[in-house]
Amino acid sequence: MEECLSLSDVEVRWSGRTILAVEDMQIRQGEFVGIIGTNGAGKTTLLKVCCGLIRPTRGTVNLDGRDLAELSAWRKAKLRKRIGYIPQAAEYNAELPFTLRELVAMGRTSVRALLRRLNKEDYEIVDNWIEKLGLSERRSQTFRSLSGGEQQKALIARAMAQDPEILMLDEPCSNLDFNWKYQITEIIEQLHRETRVTVVMVSHETSLLPSVCKRVVLLHEGNILADGDIEKVLESEELERAYQCRIEMLKLAGRRYTVNKSRA
Amino acid sequence: MDSFFYLVMFAGAVAGASTGLLGVYIVGMRMPFIGICISHSAMAGTIYSILLGVNPVLGPVVFSAVSSMSLGMVRPGRSRLDANVALAIFFNLMLGLTFLGIGLMRGSRSEVLGLLWGSLLFVRKSSVVTITISGLVFVVFAVLFNKELKVLLFSRTIASATGVHESFVYCLFLALCGLILAVNLPLVGGLMIFSLITCPAAAAYQICTGHRAVIFAATIFGMASAVVGFLVSYYLDLPTGACIVIVSTVGFAVSASYRVLIKKTS
Repeated sequence: MEECLSLSDVEVRWSGRTILAVEDMQIRQGEFVGIIGTNGAGKTTLLKVCCGLIRPTRGTVNLDGRDLAELSAWRKAKLRKRIGYIPQAAEYNAELPFTLRELVAMGRTSVRALLRRLNKEDYEIVDNWIEKLGLSERRSQTFRSLSGGEQQKALIARAMAQDPEILMLDEPCSNLDFNWKYQITEIIEQLHRETRVTVVMVSHETSLLPSVCKRVVLLHEGNILADGDIEKVLESEELERAYQCRIEMLKLAGRRYTVNKSRA
Repeated sequence: MDSFFYLVMFAGAVAGASTGLLGVYIVGMRMPFIGICISHSAMAGTIYSILLGVNPVLGPVVFSAVSSMSLGMVRPGRSRLDANVALAIFFNLMLGLTFLGIGLMRGSRSEVLGLLWGSLLFVRKSSVVTITISGLVFVVFAVLFNKELKVLLFSRTIASATGVHESFVYCLFLALCGLILAVNLPLVGGLMIFSLITCPAAAAYQICTGHRAVIFAATIFGMASAVVGFLVSYYLDLPTGACIVIVSTVGFAVSASYRVLIKKTS
């Protein structure tokens, strides 16, 4: 598989403290990579560094073989058209009265050049993704009137309407009930299978990483403690070191659950 | 009623419409402080132009352009300082510079104090032309960059991460924001302009569905606030600025109540 994203000798420092230090990390095309770790481990920072939202203090981030720091803002924007990004809820304004169709159509913005309006073809793609995610009946409703799960589906439709090569998801299931959590992860799994889009997904819960996720990166205090086969990492000593407890991995219906054995 | 009356009405309508439209983006980006920061920069600019004896249009345009560019550097996720806190600090600096300028002035200060509340009644044909042209420039900008502006409103982080030319459009927006506020300042006033930016847009966001509806509603609400406020002040012989502020606030209260009623009945 061809490499589409790589980090080399990356360090992010803030107020004299190292938030993230990654010696070497590659993501290959068509991979599904899960990023796990404790609170404050640097998961979101890593995701933001990958898509160029945070400029590392040192090191290089290569997207499609090009160093993001070397590119002008204009060229960087052109390269980032390939990234579909779903941030945490605090990073978007869900209170604006955008209709669901308007929101999904935002995914086509970077596909079309500046000063160009979206055309019929764009709206066909938008309607197609709305239908695919089962939101047709809601298309004229405002985003703010949708339930949390439906909002997440709408954000996935927006990202997919962009026809991305990499989909970056920052805890897409937080604040959802357990049924919605599984629905959303099943949608992401299905999209990955159907489109072969590369997925990088930050998750607090290992059970939310779908069965197609074969690789996981474990972060602890800004460092990569383990990176590799998901089942090996979830059974490793490093995981116990990161969470400071004894952990057992259980498999149920294709999902991997981590259980704190120290309290069992 | 003479032609001057209609000129004032027209000036008020244009100022209300352009600040109403501008407010859609300022309120939508949850940064109402941008408006007050830039308008106070323009106010400081006007005062220092008078003090230094240079063209009174040059000062506010330069000051608001510099402040717009400085505000452009306040980027989400790049600093630990909340954007609104940075804006508040900037606002304090501009307010300090304004009052320092007022303190340094000799003779009558009525012209300068008029900048706080504006003076629609002293409108001239040339200023009406200027605010109309700047308003039209902003409309053209909003139409041309409509798709990018929508993503910026929803999330600047998403815009930046997914290849929308976020910095370019945002800086252009701030520059035009500075221009609109600088040219409207003598008519609308540094304090009143804040209410014309926030109230009509906030009212439109309460009751509208869809971005286009918000744009039309905020522009019309802004225009109506200025015209109705002016008529109230004219017929009841009350201060114009105060009437416009109160009318725009009442407009917001009506739309917020309407939304609550609609929610209760549905």
